[in-house]
Amino acid sequence: MFSRISYTFREMWASLRRNFTLTVAAIITASVSLLLFGLTLLIQRGFDNQLSQWSGGVELIVYVQNDATPEQLQLIRDALESQPNVIDVSKLDYLDVDRSLAEAQRLFAGDPETLQLLNRDNIPTQFKVVPNTSTSAEMLTQLSTSWGTLPKVQAVAFPSKQIEVLSTLRSFIGIRLFLITSFLLLSAVLLIWNTIRTAMFARRREIEVMKLVGATNWFIRLPFMLEGLLQGLVGGLLASGAMLLFNANWTSGVRAFPSESGFGAFVVTGSYPSGIVVAIIGLGMLVGAIGSGTAASRFLDV
Amino acid sequence: MIKLENVTKSYSTEVTALRDAGFDIAKAEFVFLVGPSGSGKSTLLRLMNRQEKPEKGSVWVAGRNINEMPDSKVPLLRRNIGNIFQDYKLLSNKTVFENVAFALEVIGRPKHVIRQQVPAVLDLVGLAGKQERFPHQLSGGEQQRVSIARAFVNRPLILLADEPTGNLDPATGEGIMRLLDRINKTGTTVVMATHDQRIVNMMRKRVIQLDRGVIVRDQARGVYE
Repeated sequence: MFSRISYTFREMWASLRRNFTLTVAAIITASVSLLLFGLTLLIQRGFDNQLSQWSGGVELIVYVQNDATPEQLQLIRDALESQPNVIDVSKLDYLDVDRSLAEAQRLFAGDPETLQLLNRDNIPTQFKVVPNTSTSAEMLTQLSTSWGTLPKVQAVAFPSKQIEVLSTLRSFIGIRLFLITSFLLLSAVLLIWNTIRTAMFARRREIEVMKLVGATNWFIRLPFMLEGLLQGLVGGLLASGAMLLFNANWTSGVRAFPSESGFGAFVVTGSYPSGIVVAIIGLGMLVGAIGSGTAASRFLDV
Repeated sequence: MIKLENVTKSYSTEVTALRDAGFDIAKAEFVFLVGPSGSGKSTLLRLMNRQEKPEKGSVWVAGRNINEMPDSKVPLLRRNIGNIFQDYKLLSNKTVFENVAFALEVIGRPKHVIRQQVPAVLDLVGLAGKQERFPHQLSGGEQQRVSIARAFVNRPLILLADEPTGNLDPATGEGIMRLLDRINKTGTTVVMATHDQRIVNMMRKRVIQLDRGVIVRDQARGVYE
């Protein structure tokens, strides 16, 4: 048993060294395609994080005209509170004229011209509404449109446009990256297949002798299959390292953004990158197994 | 040990390599297959270790119909059959020892068995002391001896030889025949395809003669004709 295992690994190693350039080409292709696969997952996840922050964590602001009567204000408040499934009623906040002015002075500190135009008699008061995290962007868009038609409501501010843009970008980039990744993975399979075919062709005399003296097909195949599997594994490890490095660079880059950029959630942290590493390595080994397995079965009849 | 019944084998609709061939070879027999090139000698040998399957008829080896054997059992069959070729089929990057050891290694024999059996069989074929040489450092006769050692190291029941003296000068060929005769006397059945007239006449063993795929003569203690 031990002599078989040592034979298998020795032959695999010898074949890898003999076929060095093709092996390197196969590993590079595998790692680039797997890196792209990992980055696709990473980017999708980044979009998801950003989108959920915008639609779940963001405030929706209902601006009310300065001259609204208390009855009209109550009507608006009732309309908002009638949607406890959509908004977090306990966080509903009304900013009267004084608080609105105070906030304006803070927000427009860098814009004195706008600030000058606002005074006690024209500044709109505002309801700050916090949606529930489960509320979809679509639902919020609908509700904000209907709230906009209530009497004395001046406007409803809600980052629906940005969410739409981001969702469109997400699917645009996602689908195309997925296609490119698929083609690259296919070429990795074909390259590994070709490497194994070349390796078997180089050793066709040995294979012929092995078959004649009664070596089993599995015994002949195994070193070649392991060779392909190893190429996929090494490709996966390289891709994982590059992906983790890329993610670390990106995360520190995003942290350096100004905080009001709104893109602070466009990062992927926690255990998700480790999950991608597992997926990349698994997929790499699968690619290697498919390429070498089909070649080793196909070209055994020498 | 080997029995063929009504075996027909063709490679295409025009070329019939064997037609209705049948014979019985006993254990420890020595048989020559003779006939011109293309008469079907090599096809017969290839049917006996199941490198080929016949269209019709059956081939029995050691009591088993090998055409009905599943593919997975073929390697086990071949461990009982040694093969020798005109071109030796040695691996040029391996030494004499490694070439012979290879045959044991790839069927999973443990190292201590290999270390014991390889020098013994090299001694038997007259190559003691040359086990660290590479094939290109040996004469043709010596290379054929390595090939015989490789075929015999696993002590097979049957030895199939396809023109083993075809590339050798007469004196060297005779040496190889004496070696095959000695192996035959240990109880191994030997089937040898040849058109070396001199050798067949010298050995006086059973002769099966083929002509265009048909057995035209099967004679005990025969000559080439």
